[in-house]
Amino acid sequence: MDASTRTRSNSNKPKYSRFTQQELPAWKPILTPKWVITSFVIIAILFTPTGLLCLWASEHVVEIIDRYDDDCLPDSYSTNPDLYIQSRSTNKTCVRTLKVPRKMTAPIFIYYQLDNFYQNHRRYVKSRSDKQLRDPDEADETEDCKPQDHLSGNDDEPIVPCGLVAWSLFNDTYKFFKGNKAIDIDKKNIAWESDKKYKFGSNVYPKNFQKGGLIGGGELDDTKPLSEQEDLIVWMKTAALPSFRKLYGKINTNLEANETITVVIQNNYNTYEFGGEKKVALSTANWIGGKNDFLGISFLATGGVCFFVAVSFILLYVLKPRPLGDPTHLSWNRNQAAQ
Amino acid sequence: MSSNPQIPNPHLQSSSSQSLNFGSKGLRHGSDSEGFSMSRRDLNDDDARLVYVNDPLTTNETFEFSGNSIRTGKYSVITFLPRNLFEQFHRVAYMYFLIIAILNQLPQLAVFGRGASILPLASVLFVTAVKDAYEDWRRHKSDKIENNRMASVLVDHRFQHKKWKDIQVGEVVKVSANETIPCDIVLLSTSDPTGVAYVQTINLDGESNLKTRYAKQETLSRVPEKDFINGLIRSEKPNRNIYGFQANMEIDGKRVSLGPSNIILRGCVIKNTDWTVGVVVYAGRETKAMLNNSGAPSKRSRLETHMNQEIMLLSFFLVTLCVIVSACAGVWLRRHQDELDIMQFYRRKDYSEGQVENYNYYGLGMEIFFSFLMSVIVFQIMIPISLYISMELVRVGQAYFMIRDDKMFDAASNTRFQCRALNINEDLGQIKYVFSDKTGTLTENKMEFQFASISGVDYSGEKTEFYGEQGGYSIQVNGEIWRPKIKVQVDPKLLKLSKTRDDSISSKEIYDFFLALAACNTIVPIVVNASNPNEKLVDYQGESPDEQALVYAAAAYGFMLIERTSGHIVIDIQGERQRFNVLGMHEFDSDRKRMSVILGYPDSTVKVFVKGADTSMFKIIDESLNVDVVRATEAHLHSYSSIGLRTLVVGMRALSVSEFDTWQTSYEIASTALMGRAGLLRKVAINLENNLNLLGASAIEDRLQKGVPEAIESLRKANIKVWVLTGDKQETAISIGYSSKLLTSKMSQIIINNNSKMSCKKSLEDALITSRNVINVTHASEDDASSVALIIDGTSLVYILDSELEEQLFELASKCAVVLCCRVAPLQKAGIVALIKKRTDDMSLAIGDGANDVSMIQMADVGVGISGQEGRQAVMASDFAMGQFRFLVPLLLVHGHWNYQRMAYMILYNFYRNALFVLVLFWYVLYTGFTLTTAITEWSSVLYSIIYTAIPTIVIGILDKDLGRKSLMTYPQLYGSGQRKESYNAKLFWVTMVDTLWQSVVAFFIPVLAYWKSDIDGSSLGDLWTLAVVFMVNIHLAMDVIRWTWISHASVWGSIIATCICVIIIDALPMLPGYWAIFNLAGSGLFWICLLGVLIASMIPRFVVKMFMQHCKPCDLQIAREAEKFRNSMEITRSGEIEMNLPHR
Repeated sequence: MDASTRTRSNSNKPKYSRFTQQELPAWKPILTPKWVITSFVIIAILFTPTGLLCLWASEHVVEIIDRYDDDCLPDSYSTNPDLYIQSRSTNKTCVRTLKVPRKMTAPIFIYYQLDNFYQNHRRYVKSRSDKQLRDPDEADETEDCKPQDHLSGNDDEPIVPCGLVAWSLFNDTYKFFKGNKAIDIDKKNIAWESDKKYKFGSNVYPKNFQKGGLIGGGELDDTKPLSEQEDLIVWMKTAALPSFRKLYGKINTNLEANETITVVIQNNYNTYEFGGEKKVALSTANWIGGKNDFLGISFLATGGVCFFVAVSFILLYVLKPRPLGDPTHLSWNRNQAAQ
Repeated sequence: MSSNPQIPNPHLQSSSSQSLNFGSKGLRHGSDSEGFSMSRRDLNDDDARLVYVNDPLTTNETFEFSGNSIRTGKYSVITFLPRNLFEQFHRVAYMYFLIIAILNQLPQLAVFGRGASILPLASVLFVTAVKDAYEDWRRHKSDKIENNRMASVLVDHRFQHKKWKDIQVGEVVKVSANETIPCDIVLLSTSDPTGVAYVQTINLDGESNLKTRYAKQETLSRVPEKDFINGLIRSEKPNRNIYGFQANMEIDGKRVSLGPSNIILRGCVIKNTDWTVGVVVYAGRETKAMLNNSGAPSKRSRLETHMNQEIMLLSFFLVTLCVIVSACAGVWLRRHQDELDIMQFYRRKDYSEGQVENYNYYGLGMEIFFSFLMSVIVFQIMIPISLYISMELVRVGQAYFMIRDDKMFDAASNTRFQCRALNINEDLGQIKYVFSDKTGTLTENKMEFQFASISGVDYSGEKTEFYGEQGGYSIQVNGEIWRPKIKVQVDPKLLKLSKTRDDSISSKEIYDFFLALAACNTIVPIVVNASNPNEKLVDYQGESPDEQALVYAAAAYGFMLIERTSGHIVIDIQGERQRFNVLGMHEFDSDRKRMSVILGYPDSTVKVFVKGADTSMFKIIDESLNVDVVRATEAHLHSYSSIGLRTLVVGMRALSVSEFDTWQTSYEIASTALMGRAGLLRKVAINLENNLNLLGASAIEDRLQKGVPEAIESLRKANIKVWVLTGDKQETAISIGYSSKLLTSKMSQIIINNNSKMSCKKSLEDALITSRNVINVTHASEDDASSVALIIDGTSLVYILDSELEEQLFELASKCAVVLCCRVAPLQKAGIVALIKKRTDDMSLAIGDGANDVSMIQMADVGVGISGQEGRQAVMASDFAMGQFRFLVPLLLVHGHWNYQRMAYMILYNFYRNALFVLVLFWYVLYTGFTLTTAITEWSSVLYSIIYTAIPTIVIGILDKDLGRKSLMTYPQLYGSGQRKESYNAKLFWVTMVDTLWQSVVAFFIPVLAYWKSDIDGSSLGDLWTLAVVFMVNIHLAMDVIRWTWISHASVWGSIIATCICVIIIDALPMLPGYWAIFNLAGSGLFWICLLGVLIASMIPRFVVKMFMQHCKPCDLQIAREAEKFRNSMEITRSGEIEMNLPHR
């Protein structure tokens, strides 16, 4: 007994454990034909109805889109849109009529859509100061905002909110009329709750905003704190793609089919400069978001492909079966058999 | 005639192979390094070190000798940061990280924030620094313990205790029994009156037997405390040859020569000697032990070499992507040139100051250039630099499992498997050639005396049990019974003859024969206590196992060596004690291939006894005396060696007084010579060793190691060619070949045995024709067992290697199933390995145990050392070391296979993982005006390869097993997948890249099209992409995992969860632009549908192709895997499993 314990303690023999001998219990899945076919069939069964569901949901979204940037440009300025849009004296009001194709149930979302506007441009995305937006004491944090950081280069006059993102605030306005009756637009709660609460301070007020030589877009009410400037908050949530929509407001009444709606637009925002497009969009919404057939189609396609693959595999297994783990298929056994 | 090969390749003499000579290595025939004579450099005063005995002040006055404190730690507290950083930045990977990070710091290129850009570099540096610091701390701790050990040093004529670190060169040190030597000392005197000290060198070279060291006659009688020794030692400069030392000592006006037997090295332990006194010649880092303390050789694995080619391709992809982006950016800027000034999202002009200037715009050319650099920063992980770090971690993990494999633990020598080189684990899975040493590798190197042929009479009769009932020969000494420690079976006829003492010639010859066996060696008998108090055992300690076997045999026949000092030996001959003076000894060297001892008989006659290899001995036998005896002995030798025994020939000659005097004078001159002592001694020996009487020959069996035939069988089935390279005789080699199943009776043998280049050429040409014929016949008869074996000897190789015949030899050898090379010198072994290495792309492995295998081990792609009887030279030079030859099978077939599969998959997966992420970033860049914006937050970009996807690939790389040990051992043919590079090749790389492209398209465009013209913001879409990509790479990995242990589950699903948590945390920080994005996103159904669609659609092509290939073109591994699961062990056991170890549990 004593001797045996002594020899064991002197021994270098590795202690046995299932871990060190790489013998941990393990699940060794092998995808047999049954599993392969089942998995493809399951995907097909899952994806086809989901695709149909997506298409159906997308179909139920009613959407009205109207591009107005070209049409709202008076003919006299058509060769020189910059002059028109940059001038303070030109009449920017523009009236558009829209027809409701199907019944739209409240809430109806009003979007403005910009195309070819790179809100994700590196220069642009970075040109903001989140610190400044949150905290009135950090008004001087304008390092990233250049060249839109201080009023006339004066270091004591920081612009709040600074940077290109805020500076380029979209400032077209829409008014909707059914006949002569104005439709109420609810512009409350169009921004994320989290942004209003934490990202944009309730005690931060605009300062020196759009007071410089070059006006980039909309102006702000100096008496309202940033957390209440919901248009700004929406705008400053920079879009992912160069074609994007942003929420303008909501209409809380239903619009009936074939109704005609008049939109009075203040066409202030300059997209003529770089060949961008402006559109106004009215859309209902459901769980899938806006109108988009792509997901439905791609799900249907995937389901179809899986169904096809499943059938092919069934045929393959029937026509050319191979017993699993048959040693005669091992290469060295095959070679022998072949000779 | 003797095989003096040219050095085939100059770089064989690399630094770590310097200590190749085994001067006293006994009788390894033809196996000693040719470097023997070269390393004995002549000693000039210029490059000598002068040590004044017991006068450290003078000694250290003129020269700055190192003190005895050692520092293996690399860093101190102050130097740690700069030195560690400096060392880390030697690696390319870190430089790449650093350059990218520096680029990012330029304001024009600041793609990522400061913190995010430095994080990857900082985290790698930090992890490495912590690891280094921990290792260094441990080294410092052990240094401190070493340095503060106590030794007794002569100070003011008294031995006083002193810390090791304070010992200086020139001081006199006293070391008692079982104490460790603090530094390299030259012996002055010992407790033994003859000046012998026994040392154990296990710490130095791993050999556990005792070695003898001698104090010089001139100093051994001095008592250092009283008798002031005043001498001057001139020694060679510190070097790392632990088996060589050359110096002389001037004492009392006399010059005394000092050699390797007069020095004890740091780390040795004094045994069986009460005390020794010596003078310090080398201390601290100049000791031979410390100089030998270098790391393992560094090699680069084949897989990594291939990987680097693919990384070049990836760099090319990276540059292409960057060029596309910068070119497009240029075009975009050019087209919008006139609009940029006030464009809302560009605003080139700065109007805030008085004069209007460009803001952050440096002209079109510069902008394109900046775009290029920025895209390099954004797409940096296209080159998977972190892969190098992951590979290191995976190799450490694989080594952990190899070391702890209890199937590769050798109980006999109590040694585990050792991984000395950490960067070639996966090479073990692709070996095609194994070059093996014979002695000690295939065999046990435990010699057992079998037969003797004495003056032409063969005593190879029936063996009996041990010497009657008493259990072996024993003698009475002072009322105690002494008997040899190891019992030897004896031939009763010879035993009877050896006991009879009459004056017949045969009895006299038998007497001389056994006397030669007992005397002509360097064995030291050590008397140890036995279990019985009245009994003592005589343990024969020596460096050559052959000599030990011979001395034990002599003892069994009644010629028991019981005492050996430098001046005399005492042999108990049939109960009668006889004392012989040892007048001189010529040690074994590889030129002479023999050794001799000059004995002075009690009746003052003098005889020289010589023993050595037959080739060298028959040249110096006086054939005129007895031709018949010589012929008979030659015939016996042939029959011995043809059954695989090692043979030695013994001769003797009486010396006349005049002969003895001449010899003695020249011997003394030679042995005290300062210049070329070795050469002079050899000349003296050659002059003496001639006209010998042939006494007889001995045959020693070197048994085959356990499991060798089965192991060779497995290796051959695995399509690995096994070549045996041995210093032994052809007959011995062939017989071992048969017993180890290397050769079978069905094989046709081609033997090449030539003495000139022309004849070599001819026999090679003939052999080629023969082999072609045999192979053609083989193909016709469909019998793969019959094939060609090539047997070639060292002499022929001298003419073939390094000449135009090499090509023919290669062609011939590659046709042969087995190649046996006999009588080869160490450098020829390397030459043969080089022959294969130069001409094929196949991986070679060399395995050996002795110093003679070092060059071969270093030459091969993978070197394996057997930690056996012959010291640790081979192990020190090897990449892997183990206790038994048969462990090669689990090492290659199991661990090698796993390592290769794991590493190959990991590399491909890492390419895919990083390229996928980069491509998703790239597609997005095309939608941002080519301005390198990333929707994915910079933190996620950085964490992607650090947290999100790092752990699973490493865990799977360490743990996943494509097949169980049992299947791999049963079907050695499965090893072929590694040899055929099935798991990593250019085709797989391209397939992976195409798959990556598809997956990236799906991952990017499904969300883009689903959210096209919606109010989605950049951060939300970025979060979707982050999650989609991370889920994809983890599911991709999960699809390829073969064995799901709980650790694999935890790592794969855990990293998905970790990613979600990280994304949530990032989106919960209000200072980041994407604040709360993930929560808003997860609230919408579209997000979940998108995610599901991406995951399924991206994996379908891969899954379909994989399943299709699995069914229609299943690889062997796949079938074996199915068999493992669905067929019970029925078939598996059928083909006869190799039981590698006895069942443990």
